[in-house]
Amino acid sequence: MSGLIWLHEDALRSDHPVFAAAGDGSPAFFVWDDAYLQAMDYGFKRLVFIYESLVELPVTILHGDQQTCLARLARQHGGSIYVPATPNQLLQNRIEHLQRDFDVVEVADTPFVELAREPDLGRFFRYWNKARKAAMSRGGGR
Amino acid sequence: MKELPRDFDSREQLVEQVAGLSPWLDRRDVSPMIGGAAPAAERLRVMDPVAYGRTRNFLDGAVTCLSPYIRHGILTLDEVRNEALARSEQPARVEKLVQELAWRDYWQRVYARHPERIWNDVEPYKTGFSAADYATGLPADIAAGETGVGAIDQFIATLLRTGYLHNHCRMYLAAYVVHWRRIRWQAGARWFLHHLVDGDPASNNLSWQWVASTFANRPYIFNLDNLRKYASADINTSARDNAVLDASYEELSARLFPRLEVAA
Repeated sequence: MSGLIWLHEDALRSDHPVFAAAGDGSPAFFVWDDAYLQAMDYGFKRLVFIYESLVELPVTILHGDQQTCLARLARQHGGSIYVPATPNQLLQNRIEHLQRDFDVVEVADTPFVELAREPDLGRFFRYWNKARKAAMSRGGGR
Repeated sequence: MKELPRDFDSREQLVEQVAGLSPWLDRRDVSPMIGGAAPAAERLRVMDPVAYGRTRNFLDGAVTCLSPYIRHGILTLDEVRNEALARSEQPARVEKLVQELAWRDYWQRVYARHPERIWNDVEPYKTGFSAADYATGLPADIAAGETGVGAIDQFIATLLRTGYLHNHCRMYLAAYVVHWRRIRWQAGARWFLHHLVDGDPASNNLSWQWVASTFANRPYIFNLDNLRKYASADINTSARDNAVLDASYEELSARLFPRLEVAA
């Protein structure tokens, strides 16, 4: 396994499982993408918070378009692109675009609860009734 | 594809860097909440999950302020839960905090399974009104915190100044926007996402839908008595400055949802 890590704003942590999945020494990148940040409509406070979080991480911060930067990096480094899994639709779109040309591996974060089957999400308490026991256990029932 | 600097001598220097990167933004205020693993670890260290369970609804209660760190993946729900469980011999005493973490997990699951629900009504409003009865834009007086309702204006000022609000303030503000002013929840959700340092498409928007009743069985409203019960001493809860909130739930319901009364 080798490749590079694309860290994004939903996973600003150096022990996210994406690092282990990519293997030791895989370079990690964050792309500061103006168009993305404007599409998310973040205020100044949020941008500062994200930047403050970034400077503590073992990542290279690049300024540019996410897709263009990642495609260029993937060609340079070879191998797969490892990215933290996210429900964020803007990031999902970019991941799907990259998947046309590259092997992109989405790595899920440590789960809060491990449930035997997908819970009913119609209302919170239907989910909570199924999740409560695992939620109240260290490690979430893993 | 230019590499950006990572080393700064001070927060001011870093803030300057971000200002240079975001010429499209006009406000340049910085949140008291600082990004990164070290501030997150400090917040986690001072977390008091038992006191949280007792006092979290009070505006000066023992809330954790962990949300920006959880939102951006700096802390995991698993880590916070494990830490909470380790703080008490009796798990039941930390269950309220764990349940609030579960709300975040629940919203994220809804987001992943039904991404379209982030901006669309999950269900119809249960207010006697249809979506078309609600205005689509956020009025300027709300955006500026000049509604003339004392407590509401204070909450808005805090939101704009700090990028953070106690959850109960968020519920009060959302209820005011949607039910008192009859504005679509989407306008309020968009406004919150812009200003909140912890704003998350799932937790934020789906909670707005919960207040609005498009993802709940009934609309959420409050009154001045409720606000007085939970407010901290700095909040203006005078009847004179909060007249529109000063009524019984029955009166407010009749006033805000007149068609429901007719139907009943």
